[in-house]
Amino acid sequence: MSAPWVELDPTLVVVAAGTTAVGTVSGALGCFAYLRRQGLVGDVVSHSALLGVVGAFVLAHALTGSASRSLAVLVPGALIAGTASLALARSVSNRTRLNDDASLGVMLSIFFGGGLFLLRWVQRQSPPIPGHTGLEDYIFGMAAAMTRADLWMVFSLGGGALLLLLLLWKELKVFTFDPDFSRSLGLPSYRLDLLMMALLVAGVVIGIQTVGVILMIALLVTPAAAARQWTSRLSTMVLLAASFGAAAGAGGALLSASEAGLPTGPVVVLLATAIFALSLLLAPRRGLIARARARRTLGSTPPPAAGGAA
Amino acid sequence: MIQRRSREGSTEPLALEVEGLTVTYGKEPALWNADVRLGRGSLAAVVGPNGAGKSTLLKAALGVVPRVSGRVRVLGEDPARRRRLVAYVPQRTSVDWDFPTTVLDVVMMGTYGRLGWFRRPGREERAMALGALEQMELADLADRQISELSGGQQQRVFLARALVQDAEVYFMDEPFAGVDAVTEQSVASLMGHLAQRGKTILSVHHDLATVPRYFEHAVLLNRVVQAVGTVKEVFHRGNLDRLYGGRVPADVPELAST
Repeated sequence: MSAPWVELDPTLVVVAAGTTAVGTVSGALGCFAYLRRQGLVGDVVSHSALLGVVGAFVLAHALTGSASRSLAVLVPGALIAGTASLALARSVSNRTRLNDDASLGVMLSIFFGGGLFLLRWVQRQSPPIPGHTGLEDYIFGMAAAMTRADLWMVFSLGGGALLLLLLLWKELKVFTFDPDFSRSLGLPSYRLDLLMMALLVAGVVIGIQTVGVILMIALLVTPAAAARQWTSRLSTMVLLAASFGAAAGAGGALLSASEAGLPTGPVVVLLATAIFALSLLLAPRRGLIARARARRTLGSTPPPAAGGAA
Repeated sequence: MIQRRSREGSTEPLALEVEGLTVTYGKEPALWNADVRLGRGSLAAVVGPNGAGKSTLLKAALGVVPRVSGRVRVLGEDPARRRRLVAYVPQRTSVDWDFPTTVLDVVMMGTYGRLGWFRRPGREERAMALGALEQMELADLADRQISELSGGQQQRVFLARALVQDAEVYFMDEPFAGVDAVTEQSVASLMGHLAQRGKTILSVHHDLATVPRYFEHAVLLNRVVQAVGTVKEVFHRGNLDRLYGGRVPADVPELAST
């Protein structure tokens, strides 16, 4: 018996494991970003990460003389840039009359623009810095470049984020649903807010190698939005979103490996979008078809009393 | 000042003591030098025009919003050390009722304070939550998704969550707002019941006409505290005219005589 999957190329195994892990983590973390309406925050973090990635590359080259594109170097850069842009956006909206969205937008432009600028500068250096040719892949993602060391980085950072989510589950839940009430219980809202941001940043940063800084937001929000269609429980929603993300990640890696020239990141995102579209259409109760049906039956029979004993 | 002497004649700590409390949002003072003292068992309404700082008074007393100056004591201690004895019912409209969770789950959040970090609610917490739902006549809705509730049911879910907290002092933000007649009755009887058992209630209230019916005490607030006392003492036409700048809503029948 020589089943095709036994002959899987070890590089593909690494890549598929990586995209699956990225999909799982961003699906789970994305639920909280979705429920707190912080999609834009995730987008700003991922775009800003480009400056961090290129900056870390340049800095590593300047300090050690040898250039490295390993995640162990680039992830800290992305973490710093992502966090810095959020912190700056917050201080701008606190100190000026700009609202939160506007100051987030400003930071996205500055950091992403700065990242593109620095990238172009790196590419024009002569003699060329070895290894710089892969840097632009961070814009749209290049899952195939993932190494075993990168995979370890994804697992440890993503696993750590998921573990924290699990440990602080009830605190994060009550803080997300009813912040004032959670404060009245004595929960430190400022720190929980920071923690949520940190988890979001971690989720974004491990994903940008796979899907790139531009499409990363889709991998955060789409599985969550799809999962929300099927369930009314937070735990189920998080599990479903993680599974959708994992399926999109694994499917994307396998599809792009089977067909030459298919870029992994966009395929992953398109698969996630397809899952979302199906959910939007087919989900019971919330799905478009179910709602259209409910409306039709509502027209012919009197509506049931809204929720039992009123 | 509302103070009730204990049976021994010595003064037991007040349920709530607010002194010189000032809170600002940005540069605007939301609450200015407020003094409120409530004895245990008080059933008090906070009334005043929009933007008078009524919710802010509650939140500052709970330590939910920071205070610029002033002192708050709950049962003689800093509120941060009395969290287990305080329950909070936020405005019903302050949360997203489309959040993916069930009625029972929301009510169980009332046990989170006692559980502390990391611990998950178990069988005991579940039983407490079910008991509170029973009391609010919501037992058959325990597994219902919260987005399917009516306004009155949402309010009773929040009250059930406060009941689970098994507190001594209850801060409620407009528990009567936008609810049906059945819920209005059940909120009123719950409040009366709690006050009878010596619990203290401070509740923001909008409907001036029902203040004398549902409350024993009133805090008249318009950024500054204009009067605190029993409804009989302070809830009269003169005070209210001052409070609302002569624009008291006309439908306050109980006021006609004073």
